[in-house]
Amino acid sequence: MPAPRLRFANVRRRFGRLAVLNGVSGAVGPGEMLLVTGPNGSGKSTLLRCLAGLLAPDAGTIEYREDEGDPAVDAASRRKLAGTVSPDLAFYAELSVAENLAFFARLRRTPPDRGLAVLDRLGLPLDRPAGALSSGMRQRLRWAWALLHAPRLLLLDEPFQNFDAPGERAARELLAEHLAAGGLAVVANPSTLEFADVAGRLDLGR
Amino acid sequence: MWRDASTWAAEALAVFAKEWRCEFRTRYALNTLGLFAFTTLVVVSVSLGPVGVSTSRGTAVLPVLLWVILLFSAAAGLPRAFVQEEETQTATALRLAATPSALFCGKLLYGLTLTFALEILVTPVFVAMTSLDVKSPGLLAAVLAAGGFGLAAGSTLVAAIIAQARSKGTLFSVMAFPVLLPLLLIAVELSRGAVAGDPAGVALLQLLLYDASVTVAGFMLFPVVWNP
Repeated sequence: MPAPRLRFANVRRRFGRLAVLNGVSGAVGPGEMLLVTGPNGSGKSTLLRCLAGLLAPDAGTIEYREDEGDPAVDAASRRKLAGTVSPDLAFYAELSVAENLAFFARLRRTPPDRGLAVLDRLGLPLDRPAGALSSGMRQRLRWAWALLHAPRLLLLDEPFQNFDAPGERAARELLAEHLAAGGLAVVANPSTLEFADVAGRLDLGR
Repeated sequence: MWRDASTWAAEALAVFAKEWRCEFRTRYALNTLGLFAFTTLVVVSVSLGPVGVSTSRGTAVLPVLLWVILLFSAAAGLPRAFVQEEETQTATALRLAATPSALFCGKLLYGLTLTFALEILVTPVFVAMTSLDVKSPGLLAAVLAAGGFGLAAGSTLVAAIIAQARSKGTLFSVMAFPVLLPLLLIAVELSRGAVAGDPAGVALLQLLLYDASVTVAGFMLFPVVWNP
């Protein structure tokens, strides 16, 4: 069994007096998915933001390696390496879907082809301004944005939120292909019903 | 190393191009700056009357008014650079995708071009409306270039620092005051000299040193204030 590439141990995070994460630990290896569950406010999104490098934990360690034997990367590198789908992600309302992807592809130093291919599978018109997208369409753009640079680590916060049935089916296929290709995924979702067959679980419920 | 530098520059240029593309579609900063500059120019010209002011008083007062117009016009548009990213929640995607120093450079380039465009539009109109006789136009152009650079660099740095705060408007004024005050004092004194035909002396060097200091401070501070 391959060694985990993402390990986090005893991660703690407070917002003022409110302790949101109280020593959370977990590990994910290649081709594996960790499902983080719990009710609203249990810290799922906070944990994902810590893993993505968007929030610094107050205590605990987070280690991520792109390949076995590589040294663990820092939070700045994790931010750029991981692919993130989150309700917090927004795009430039004045730019079209294609222009948004082209802009972020230049920042990611990669061609926009992969993101465009993902959008083609999810079904989203490229010339529509991002400000005129419905919530389901915005979620499609988040998926294309997350997969733009072919990341090995996917951090998905409520990944199927607002999707219609064809959109959810296509997104599930993309996730399955990512895992089959040896990628890692951490998925935060309030319910376990949508992920009945997932082995790795972390319940933040209190 | 060169490859890294060219991809870094490509990132910075992508941010710069994105800023102008969004600006041309919304015209938020352009309209705000243009309207403020036009209003203050009209107020100044009407207040001074059709005969203008005497040469001696004009040399003392008019450069101050020019920099007041430039400062407040720029302050109406430049702080939006990072505040808008936070308000529209695009900052998260930028944090995850962009190299902080390249992002700062792209935003700074946008602020510079916006400030220079403002100066190019406002200064000739101001000089014509107040019948200002500039003895050293070359020096005035150099002061405007160096002062505009400092104004854009200082405003971009302060905008980055305040972007995640709650009372952004108030905080910008409070933080911009100590950062921009030395720049304005030197720029006004040099502009007076340019109008009177005095040599620049060491003040122009001080202005350039200010520009360099604020720019270096911006590149060093930005990754710290931008990321957790």
